[in-house]
Amino acid sequence: MLLFIAWRNIWRNPVRSLLTIAALGGGVVMVILYAAFLEGMTRQMVQYATEISTGQMQLHRQSFVDDQDLYATLPWHYIERIERRLPEVVAAPRLYAAGLASAGDNSSGVMIKAIDPLRERRVTKMLDHLRSGEARFDAVSSNEGVERRYNVVIGTQMARNMHLNIGDELVLITQAADGSIGNALFRIGGVLRPVEPNFDRMGVLMSIEAYQQLMYLEEGFHELALWTQDLTALEQPQQPQQHVASLLTELHAEQPLDELGGAAMVRNWRQLTPAIADMLELSKAMVIIVGFIIVGLASLGMLNTMLMAVHERTHEFGILLSIGMSRWWLLLMVLFESLFLALISAVIGSIAGTFVARYFEQYGIDFSGSMPDGYDWGGIVFEPVMRGHFEPQHLLSSSLLMITIAMLASLIPSWRTVRMKPAEVLR
Amino acid sequence: MVMLMGISAYSPAQAIEINVLMEHIDRLWRGDTSQVTMSMTVKTRRYQRSMKMEAWSRGKEHSLIIIREPIKDRGIATLKVEENIWNYLPKINRVTKVPASMMSGSWMGSHFTNDDLVKESTFIDDFDSVISFEGERDGVAIYEVTSTPKPDAAVVWGKVVMTIHQDNFAPLHAYYYDEEGIQVRVMRFDQIREVDGRAIPMRMTLIPEDKPGELTEVLYEEVAFGITLREDFFSLQNLKQRR
Repeated sequence: MLLFIAWRNIWRNPVRSLLTIAALGGGVVMVILYAAFLEGMTRQMVQYATEISTGQMQLHRQSFVDDQDLYATLPWHYIERIERRLPEVVAAPRLYAAGLASAGDNSSGVMIKAIDPLRERRVTKMLDHLRSGEARFDAVSSNEGVERRYNVVIGTQMARNMHLNIGDELVLITQAADGSIGNALFRIGGVLRPVEPNFDRMGVLMSIEAYQQLMYLEEGFHELALWTQDLTALEQPQQPQQHVASLLTELHAEQPLDELGGAAMVRNWRQLTPAIADMLELSKAMVIIVGFIIVGLASLGMLNTMLMAVHERTHEFGILLSIGMSRWWLLLMVLFESLFLALISAVIGSIAGTFVARYFEQYGIDFSGSMPDGYDWGGIVFEPVMRGHFEPQHLLSSSLLMITIAMLASLIPSWRTVRMKPAEVLR
Repeated sequence: MVMLMGISAYSPAQAIEINVLMEHIDRLWRGDTSQVTMSMTVKTRRYQRSMKMEAWSRGKEHSLIIIREPIKDRGIATLKVEENIWNYLPKINRVTKVPASMMSGSWMGSHFTNDDLVKESTFIDDFDSVISFEGERDGVAIYEVTSTPKPDAAVVWGKVVMTIHQDNFAPLHAYYYDEEGIQVRVMRFDQIREVDGRAIPMRMTLIPEDKPGELTEVLYEEVAFGITLREDFFSLQNLKQRR
């Protein structure tokens, strides 16, 4: 009965109620949209952080982590041992070196990264992120000499800075592992899309075979990126990490590594890219804070509506009280009115929010006009199209947030009905 | 020699004396032109290797260094003209210019940087030097000269302290400090030989402080000053041809 009266009361002034519903519903849409965009960004971030170059876990030697020690290699047989022990894990070895690249009159310091293309494709999607050319690392014979040139793949920014195109010649000079001057000619096979700012600016990707001929470093690899098929490992990387760590201890006991390079260590993607792990935590807190602000503002409308509604009906409430209606029934009735308004807003807001979020999930906001290469945030390059990611859970949480705040706001007008003195208001 | 006599006469003013001394140090290995044959040994934690090379210089602006041994690196040449450095690599037959960003990088795998080669700083032009000690140390009569860079000098060091023999004005040690006043490397000079009336240390050992056990040693085998070298000797064409 009380519910029915409350429902009827809302529609006494339909325009005012609809405006309130629009404000609250709009607030819910904004919160859903904001959550969707943040979710979309963090998802892209995690994806970039893991799938594209980092993998879920990586193995290094301590002194390679500390100061990129060229000699801090892990032996090749580690790969086979890890894959045999953990069948769900695939591994991709990498080698690094600093060098000087030169083409024509341009020269620049570069970071050489060597990969095994077949294994790399199984672990990361790095090689699919091509801007132009092909991800090829084979050796081709040049027309001017007998010596073969290996194909390399470079970063976009570097290609632009050094005016390099597919098929161009690149000279690489470095200090080989034996102290001699490693130097060789390479051919630009492809240009990689921006993924990581450092690589984009100075990265040269080559095959391990080409690296070994340049660097005379054959003992092992610097980095092993691991990927497990088990997707829960992305959220909880600790368990597979422990398996790998205990295997490393075993391998070290069998055949100790040299002192200088330090111990072998395995780190998960959260440890490897702490900025991103922090961003994930931060973005969750941000949704709640921003949600509070948006819904709080919308709830002021609710407060206003209910204050007006109560004020208008002062006389009516006075009569009800004097014929024996309980104050608490009146309070409950006002609260029900607010609840109905909030519920209607939640339903409308959720429906509209779903549509809008789905739209942006599909099409995103396109910044490619002003930023064709995407933007760099927290050490990760994002695609220029900002996409939302809709999660049904967002509907529930933002609706609940709105209803809670709106009900808190409606406590003020309903409290006024409780304190009403029938003798005074009826005069 | 007359110039050197001036140093041993103490008064009147120490300022003149220190200038003469530092000018002597600045010109010690350089002369107007020079041709040297030297060997360089680089010792690191991981490897030790020796190279033989030949070098020419003209004033402080021009120098050319060609590696003769080992076979693997034979013919690799470094040309320095003013503040530019080019490397010639015979294996791939290419000349590459060392960019400004790589100047602090190692030269040919040694503990010398490209900057050490290019640097045209002289004690006279870029430093204010004072004799901070004179007398006997470890049984050798020395001058200790403390040089601090002039405010506008393009010098990476915060301070250079050099000890110099009192009798023949040959340097003994040079201690290099960074801008925080921490000693970063020591250069040791020995095997003094008389060339053209100057006492020249034939061996220089560079010891970096941050890498214990590592060093680069340069041993001059033959030194000749005042030879005829035209400016176009130090050209990119000659860089390629002189192997």
